[in-house]
Amino acid sequence: MATNNLEESEISFITIPFGPQHPASGHFHAKVKVDGENVVDLVAYPGYLHRGFEKLMEYRTHVQNTMLSDRVCILDPFSNEMAYVNVTELAVGIEAPLRGKFIRSIMAELGRILSHVTWIGITSMALGLESGTRISWGDREKIIRIQEILTGGRIYPCYYVPGGVRRDFSQEHIDEIFKLLDYIEKAMKLYDDLVFYNTTFMTRMENVGTLTKEDAIALGATGPNLRACGVAADVRVDEPYDGYPYVNVDVVTMEKGDSYARSLCRRGEIITSISIIRQLLEKMPAGDFKVKWAMTKKVPAGEAYFCCEAARGELCFHMVSDGSDKPYRVKIRGPSFSHALAIFPFLVRGSQLADVPAIYWSLDSCPADMDR
Amino acid sequence: MSLIRPFSLFKNLFKKPMTLDFPFESLPAVEGYRGRQILDLEKCTGCPVCSMVCPNLAIELVEYNGKKYPQIHLGKCCFCGLCAEYCPRDALHMTQEAMITIMDTKEAVYTPAKLSQTA
Repeated sequence: MATNNLEESEISFITIPFGPQHPASGHFHAKVKVDGENVVDLVAYPGYLHRGFEKLMEYRTHVQNTMLSDRVCILDPFSNEMAYVNVTELAVGIEAPLRGKFIRSIMAELGRILSHVTWIGITSMALGLESGTRISWGDREKIIRIQEILTGGRIYPCYYVPGGVRRDFSQEHIDEIFKLLDYIEKAMKLYDDLVFYNTTFMTRMENVGTLTKEDAIALGATGPNLRACGVAADVRVDEPYDGYPYVNVDVVTMEKGDSYARSLCRRGEIITSISIIRQLLEKMPAGDFKVKWAMTKKVPAGEAYFCCEAARGELCFHMVSDGSDKPYRVKIRGPSFSHALAIFPFLVRGSQLADVPAIYWSLDSCPADMDR
Repeated sequence: MSLIRPFSLFKNLFKKPMTLDFPFESLPAVEGYRGRQILDLEKCTGCPVCSMVCPNLAIELVEYNGKKYPQIHLGKCCFCGLCAEYCPRDALHMTQEAMITIMDTKEAVYTPAKLSQTA
């Protein structure tokens, strides 16, 4: 812990920058104050990926903003589109057709798998398991390929619009998704051997960065990081939206709350997502996939708030409209904000310097989402 | 892992690599992929819809052959495909062309003449 008489104690401390050029940090910068190998304090300096989306959205119509919103978090674009589209629909009071809602939920779950598979890769890289990185990024390419076939965009799908989605699924598309799900299920066995039950991974992750249930709630943890502490909180179950009221969602919870529990929680979520997509595809109704929505449709004056379960936790959009075709103000609450700026420094204090990347990546924070 | 199944590694010797030898081979283009736009000069009436729907203001209308046509700055374009979707005359389309490598930013400006040609 930082002491008050800094002049005397500062001498033995060394400040080491973690990021933004660190191989395991992403675009995130933090200054780590160390005493030998022990971390005394960590101060996060966010802002390297600030692109000002909240301000940019004030000058664009709602359909244009949807194309912008998937750039908020690059690894998890569907959830951001989902939140923006839903908040607009709430403000207007129009609901998307059921088929459109189902397609949205399918793509959101596919995006969750994509995000978690990418996370396996980056975490393996941070822990020195290079083969895990190579293989998971190869599998990521397969998911991206399906995303490209379905939506027309490799990384940025630009797929949802207020009132539904832009394209319909054909039977060939559905077969492709089923094939992909079978492939991921097979690949998960490889990841179990290679990453999750690998001795290197377990030794680096177990009993590192343990977060208690009380601290997690107090510091604003959401998503897999909260569920790893034993709290069964999931927006898909608590306040189901779009296609989720029609399916059975298994909430994966762990008890221990350490980095390893968080990792296993994400592993379980990939399997849950596969089961959700299968259920949705089997129950998929026929009919329209979108309602007509003009580019300059005016949104009545007022406020709307929508919260959805992104891959990293709760993603909330709060939109204020003044009655024009553009939002007056949009506030984005990204899940990584509290994970990287509140929980990460809290967990790192008192740990070893070598554990810093392990803790950082077990939290799976996305700097793009944090800085917006 | 390798202690329990020592031969599991050898399976990889007979698998195809996940990567491609890029300049010589690449993934086939996907139908419906949003690459750069192509303009049908005969269908285009010079209405400003594409320039109005563009989220990044990448499209501006310029004079060409005595008529107004869209000119797209591909450096600003985010390839969302709204211009092609909202075109009332079906004159703008997205192609599967993804390799738009340039050495000078001025080359990113696709004039109506350049925009109406296939690669």
